[in-house]
Amino acid sequence: MASIPDDIFFATITELNQKLKAKEFSVVELTRAFSDRLERLGPRYNALALSLRQQAYRAAKDIDGDLKRERYRSPVQGIPFGAKDLLSYEKEPTTWGARPYAGQVFDYTATPLKKLGKIGAVLMGKLAMVELAGGPSYRYANASLTGPGLNPWDRTRWSGGSSSGSGIAVAAGLVTFALGSETSGSILTPSAFCGVTGLRPTYGLVSRYGAMALSWTLDKIGPMCRSAEDCGLVLHEIAGADAQDPASAGKSFHYTPQFSRELKTIRVGFAPVDFDEWAEPSARPDFAKALEAIRSLGVEVTEVKLPEFPYGPTISTIVSSEAAAIFEPLIQSGKVDQLVDPKQIAGLKAGLEIPAKDYLKAMRIRSLIQDAFRDLFADVDVLLAPARLGPAPKITQPLDRPLSDRPLPKTPGLTALIPAGNLAGFPALSLPCGFADGMPIAIQLVGRPFSENTLLAIGKAFQDRTNFHRHRPPGFET
Amino acid sequence: MGTKIKFTRREIATALSTSAALLAQSPSPPLPQNPDDELKAARESNRQNSEQLAKFPLPMSTEPAAHFKA
Repeated sequence: MASIPDDIFFATITELNQKLKAKEFSVVELTRAFSDRLERLGPRYNALALSLRQQAYRAAKDIDGDLKRERYRSPVQGIPFGAKDLLSYEKEPTTWGARPYAGQVFDYTATPLKKLGKIGAVLMGKLAMVELAGGPSYRYANASLTGPGLNPWDRTRWSGGSSSGSGIAVAAGLVTFALGSETSGSILTPSAFCGVTGLRPTYGLVSRYGAMALSWTLDKIGPMCRSAEDCGLVLHEIAGADAQDPASAGKSFHYTPQFSRELKTIRVGFAPVDFDEWAEPSARPDFAKALEAIRSLGVEVTEVKLPEFPYGPTISTIVSSEAAAIFEPLIQSGKVDQLVDPKQIAGLKAGLEIPAKDYLKAMRIRSLIQDAFRDLFADVDVLLAPARLGPAPKITQPLDRPLSDRPLPKTPGLTALIPAGNLAGFPALSLPCGFADGMPIAIQLVGRPFSENTLLAIGKAFQDRTNFHRHRPPGFET
Repeated sequence: MGTKIKFTRREIATALSTSAALLAQSPSPPLPQNPDDELKAARESNRQNSEQLAKFPLPMSTEPAAHFKA
């Protein structure tokens, strides 16, 4: 039996695929090594919701048979991955990270997991998440059935949420990639805080059949990986039309880096105030270097302003209204009080009282936001901003309070890009770009609908020139 | 589907007089201490959102976003 060297836990999909094809080790050996590691280290970071060791082992044996017969299905074949516990997996518990649903079992598997299973990716386990993906809002990092997501870079800091276990598991080498979900920031935030590369696909590109609904008009499923290239490889497999998801855009995605646009033809818009003033002071030096690295790719960098809209109140009204409607039975039954976070409990209850006129007003403003961004994207191809303004906060820090009392800039820059991008349904890519206080920081790229290949091309070029995506948390170095 | 009505920058600026930046600088209210206070705070937050949305001028022809397929 081949022994699995430590570096393998931090290898990319492409690297692992080559080693599997070269028969350096079998899929069964790889699966066993990752299972051991996930079960040993997952609980240390509150990252593991459910190990699927037996199922993974059975799948691995079949895939070894395929590889032996040289039946190659995908670069993701044989690769160990994890899934946020908001995706159903038949006959196994799917808790949505919340006590009231701790015993919930579905008799079907979510479409993205089914698709990955079909091409031979190996599901190692379900990963922890913030309860109900954060609901309308939450205040504390411990808002989860499994406790606060502890950051592999510093266990006193938060992993980010709501795809907390997905960010942790990739950063700590417990899986090679993970699936997360985003309603407004839940892929980008843990990706940025944990130092992994996360892709929020265009709304409707990846089926949500079998996923918990938090907001029908905002929810997206996407990959969290070691690199932009890995995100492309995974998205290639999970995207596509699905009649079982009413929001499906009916489009597939082909990762085609060989046909990507020449970088010099791409116009990137940014706001200097984001990097110079909004960013936490400790993060500014590396953000400045990241901006220079982006410029050095040859793209045309230009200053832009975000169209003026009440992004926060708009998205908050939509999420609160839809989440309250979705979880009305939970709220009316009183079981909502079993949730951990007092702000989320209150937010769900109060969401039932939002008048229809407010929800509709928010959705009408959203129409104008989409129009305004269509105009903005006539002038630039991609928007660039810090993914989060600084590193991960301490797990004890209330998340709805400012991190410091420093005076804030008067101009908003692109600070509302996360709600704006989600309201408009745009894809976004979070790329690790340096460190602040010893913790990872990241930039985000946002593009037009279905422009994932453009974002990934810039991301790959950036990662070819930098190595932040290959850094490992302390204690995990070679 | 109706015609688009454009607003002047001044109208929009007035509507957004409480911008994100200004909101960010307003002092945070104290943390609620019990479930009743939490519920009050959540309702207050929804009321403030409603107020912000109400200030935003909307042409009568603007329909709710229903298609997100770009």
